[in-house]
Amino acid sequence: MGNKFLSVLLFTCAAAQGLRASEGTPIADTHYDLLSNYCLNCHDEAERKGDINLDHYTVDWTKKENRDLWENALRMLQEGLMPPEDKDRPSQEERAILISWLDEHLLDNTPLGGTIPRRLSADEYRSTIRDLFGLADYELPLGFPKDSEYHGFNNVGEGLVLSPPLMEAYAKVAEEIANTVYPPAQIAPPSTTRTAGPEEMVLSFSAAKVKDDALLLVSRGQEIFRSCSWPSRMEIMASGVYRITVSAAKHKPVSDEPLLLEIRARELSASDRSRAEIFRLLKVMEVPSTTPNSVTFEADLYEGQTLLFRWANAEMDHDYTEFAKHMREWWSRDSRWLAAWQHAVFPNGDFSERRISVLRGLNGWNIITEALANPDLDMNNATMDNELTVELLKIANSNRGMFNLADVLCHYYFTNGPALEFHQATIEGPLRIVDGPREMLAKKLQQQFTGNRKPDQSNESFTREILTGFLPRAFRRPVDKQTIESYVGIAQRHWEAGNSFKDAMHLLIRNILISPRFLYRVASPGEMDDYDLASRLSYFLTQAPPDKQLFKLAHAGRLSDPEVLRGEALRLLPERPSDAMILSFTSQWLDLKLLPEIMPDPAFNFSGEEIATAKSEVEHFFAAMLRDNLPMTDFIDPDFTYTSLKFAKENYQYIHDGISEVKREYGQEDPGLGRLPMPRGGRFGGLLGQSAIMMATANGVDTQPVLRGVWVLENILGTPPPEPPQNVPALTPDIRGAKTPREMLAAHMDDKACSTCHRRIDPVGFILENFDPVGNWREVWPKVNAPIDSTGVLPDGTHINDITEFKVWLVDNIDLFSQCLAEKLMTYATGRVPNYAEREEIEGIVEANHAHGNGFKDLLLALVTSDTFRTK
Amino acid sequence: MTSRLNQFGYHTIGRRQFLRAAGALITLPSLESIAKPLAKAAAATRPRNLVSIGTYLGWHQNGFFPKEVGRGYRLPPILEPLAGHQEDFTVFSGLDHRAPNGHGAWSNFLCGSSPKTYSMDQIVADRIGQKSRFPSVQLTAGTGEGSKAMSFTKQGIGLPMIQRPSVFYKQMFMSEADKERMEYMLRSGKSSLDLVLGDALRLQKSLPQSDSDKLEEYFDSMRSVEKRMAHQIASINDPLPTTDYKLPDSDPITPNLLMEAETLMYDLMALALETDSSRVLSFFIDGLGQVFSFDGVALKSGYHGLSHHGNDPEMIRDLIAIETAHMHCFNGFLDQLKEKKRPNGKSLLDETIVLMGTGMGDASRHSNDNLPTLVAGGGFRHGSHVAIDASKTDAPLLGDLYITLMQRLGVETNEFSNASRNLNHLFS
Repeated sequence: MGNKFLSVLLFTCAAAQGLRASEGTPIADTHYDLLSNYCLNCHDEAERKGDINLDHYTVDWTKKENRDLWENALRMLQEGLMPPEDKDRPSQEERAILISWLDEHLLDNTPLGGTIPRRLSADEYRSTIRDLFGLADYELPLGFPKDSEYHGFNNVGEGLVLSPPLMEAYAKVAEEIANTVYPPAQIAPPSTTRTAGPEEMVLSFSAAKVKDDALLLVSRGQEIFRSCSWPSRMEIMASGVYRITVSAAKHKPVSDEPLLLEIRARELSASDRSRAEIFRLLKVMEVPSTTPNSVTFEADLYEGQTLLFRWANAEMDHDYTEFAKHMREWWSRDSRWLAAWQHAVFPNGDFSERRISVLRGLNGWNIITEALANPDLDMNNATMDNELTVELLKIANSNRGMFNLADVLCHYYFTNGPALEFHQATIEGPLRIVDGPREMLAKKLQQQFTGNRKPDQSNESFTREILTGFLPRAFRRPVDKQTIESYVGIAQRHWEAGNSFKDAMHLLIRNILISPRFLYRVASPGEMDDYDLASRLSYFLTQAPPDKQLFKLAHAGRLSDPEVLRGEALRLLPERPSDAMILSFTSQWLDLKLLPEIMPDPAFNFSGEEIATAKSEVEHFFAAMLRDNLPMTDFIDPDFTYTSLKFAKENYQYIHDGISEVKREYGQEDPGLGRLPMPRGGRFGGLLGQSAIMMATANGVDTQPVLRGVWVLENILGTPPPEPPQNVPALTPDIRGAKTPREMLAAHMDDKACSTCHRRIDPVGFILENFDPVGNWREVWPKVNAPIDSTGVLPDGTHINDITEFKVWLVDNIDLFSQCLAEKLMTYATGRVPNYAEREEIEGIVEANHAHGNGFKDLLLALVTSDTFRTK
Repeated sequence: MTSRLNQFGYHTIGRRQFLRAAGALITLPSLESIAKPLAKAAAATRPRNLVSIGTYLGWHQNGFFPKEVGRGYRLPPILEPLAGHQEDFTVFSGLDHRAPNGHGAWSNFLCGSSPKTYSMDQIVADRIGQKSRFPSVQLTAGTGEGSKAMSFTKQGIGLPMIQRPSVFYKQMFMSEADKERMEYMLRSGKSSLDLVLGDALRLQKSLPQSDSDKLEEYFDSMRSVEKRMAHQIASINDPLPTTDYKLPDSDPITPNLLMEAETLMYDLMALALETDSSRVLSFFIDGLGQVFSFDGVALKSGYHGLSHHGNDPEMIRDLIAIETAHMHCFNGFLDQLKEKKRPNGKSLLDETIVLMGTGMGDASRHSNDNLPTLVAGGGFRHGSHVAIDASKTDAPLLGDLYITLMQRLGVETNEFSNASRNLNHLFS
């Protein structure tokens, strides 16, 4: 008792003291009384429930922590989350008084801006290196640290922490790039002669076989691991000219035509799945007879390469169209042959058993040989119009089925010919050293890096010239003399210590790439200038540093002109689904980044290929929304979707009505993926009707209404619920399956503490329950086998029966979604989460845009020219 | 939960009871406990190395798991090459991480129930790895597809693996030319750092206070890079281990030379442990479509094709032939570890825990249940087949075994992934 008294006394003193010391605005009695009636019972100095204290006489609105506190209180009031239902709640009128009081002060006192200096994200870092050195395919090394996410994005300042391991990785990359531009000198090894016979050749799948001291090749397939062979121990260690001798012969030929043996140079490090045609052709050797003959020629071979052999005019191919054609002809002229294959794949003579994958190579060929030798071979189905034959041809004509059968057919040729006999290859050299790809690339990169040296130009003057051009590009803004001279100094000291000019350039690159001026964005003093703006716009729309034109405009001080800025945004706007901004933004906003990690339960029969298609659908959809300036409502309920016909039929209940092909818009880039008309108002289409989204919000195995509900609140409606209290265990799926998800989650509604938030979360989650973990429609809850109940009441009292009604509601309230997406875009673009005043500005933009056609491209352009975007 | 390691000797009576509850179907190993008088002895006899080996295409369960349980079991075909070491290892069946199925989840091997998370070897490396030149080393033999990783950092970053024996060899036994280049890079890099840092400082000063505070991260990180460089420069003339071991002229990196690559990597791993170059090694054995020939006869299909045997007996026979060949290579490794004696008279094998396993329980079905696992060395009492009945509720997890291995290496932990017990009692 005494203690309590004492503490009250102390509080009073402290409060009084605080009052005197504070220079804030007093809280008027009207507001203080309302707070006192509805808030302070729990949130005063003594109670501090949730560590929140609202008991103040004055508020210093200029302090960010105070604004955060009251902004949070305002949100709770606006969304009806506080006071809780079981406490006294203010009347509508009283609420309005409090809301307008807080709104006014927050707006008046929240300054725009506040992005902290941030390092480049890993993606930005990679594309910046690509851009700076002209290394279009540069990839970060395996094991490069990942960025951490903040508010759903990996490029927000608060999340982009620089740590010692990351700094080590930067230093390593810097060294790697310096080595790429200025590689250590090649030392010519002594010339040697190496020979590879059949035993030293790679046997991959059924591509080759060793028989009677020769290696047989039988397929002209392009995938090298199905058709080619190469020596195991003939890796070229130094790029140079080599003398190559190859001997080969015909094996059981069927014609006098010479066989053509392609000899190519393959990188040993290249994937064995590569296509032969990507490797440099050295020679096409004619093989005229059954006795081995040899050919000798000289060719350039580069470090890390070896020879690759392919029989270019073989009878059989591993291309499925070619293979199916070949088999169709053969089966139609030889019914025993057909019957043997039918037996191999359908051993029971019907569809009751089907073996494809176990046929692999010799195993399958043994089955076929036995069948051919069997006098009682079942010939009943051996006609071309038989359904087993039709199915067999279908397998032969599919990418997956083909290789199993083709690998079996290889053994026919190994046994009966014709085949190409490879006998031996010899490599002698290097006869002399030549520039390999590494040296050729280095020369090009050096030229780009230094430009031309003027006659008689000193090292020092040349270096100064190089840096004057390069440093502003690397640091993305003008660089003062002092900085340039400090780098010239590094180079100078280096050659003065006895190292070469190239060594000095190597050292400069290593140093420039670990400077904070390179690694950090928005590191300029003072207000945001045109160069900062150029960087912000460029990284936002292209994920790359500003190009020449942006630089020029920034230099002329014209970029801050809203019209110019808008024009530049239009110029840089991504257009293709594969553009960096679209890939990066959609994968972060819509959590598509989770897709590659999700492994759907085999029961869904959803392949990795389908996962890739699903992801690609969203990217195509987003690209079209932007490119065609489609109305925001099309994000929810469009009359089209991007997909493949097959995917739409299998996953979107799409009924074929005369459309035989989707409309492709990007050439061959995404074979099969295109625009498909769909009636509005249906279950599928729009963000909430695409497989990828339903997959990203589940886990591949089952769905959880709460997770999807939270996801929609956060990413579609822009009203994320507060974090759940720490001590509440997550509801785990009931494996005994006694209850439906609806019954399990009913607990949320009974408990007052839960219901405040779950009243908003759960209904939205249940609406989406009709989509299974891969986004297919379902009407029954698995395990419990009960009909899905997707009905619910939205926070505004609207009754919703299913997803189609929810879409109608969203279209009616489209500004909620537009505001959400606009805030996400702004977060991604500026690297900060918009604050109260910025959200207010965005709201104005969203409303104005709604009044003018509500196009998505227009919205994005308006955001770029907003004060929020243009403030540091 | 308290560590069972500290309860050695107190648990003997209740053990049978416990094992039954835990669902282990084992004939109890006879139990002269190696560490009865606790901590001090445990520290003195503690192994110091961990070698983790995983095959991408798994191990054929029926060829890997012995039919009999307990000691004196008959060696199954895949383990036959290890006949000379039967008392040096323990085989486990019925253990797994309850991880998702599929090839994509292969990394559950060392990561536990969540693939691509902090792997057991890295947990160990972060605690004891600093005591040697390379805190941990990741190696691979053979080429498969895509970029895979077996070891993952605390942040879940997959660590790249060294594929070429010559690269690992060069790191361990640096040539004079390599050493010179390294010294040049370090000295030139370090001497120019001052200028870079000076410029960075000017940048920092030009920024408002809050922004300039943020840049402290940069300076902190640079200081740690600088420290590392200084340490490397200071130790550049420390004597490096030397060896008369010679590698062949070219690296066996083509897929058909997988067994040769394995043999070389095992040789180098034994050298790394002997010279204390690293105490934590992980070794990934990849595999794709390569067709192996044994005794001049080519197998019926490629390695990957055989792993999808669909229970065809001939395919299984060929698959077992490949996996037996892996074990021949592995046997050579155990031979070397047993032969090499430490100054204290113990064999390298006693000082090294060797974990051999996979993240793939049944490659034919892409199932990640019941992961074939074998533990050799480390001073444990070995010689048994421990069969766990995974169908029992509360059955032990593979992670429980990992906890035991980690504790044995001096990592004080009672948890790993979804596991929070241990299997110390099985070894005591």
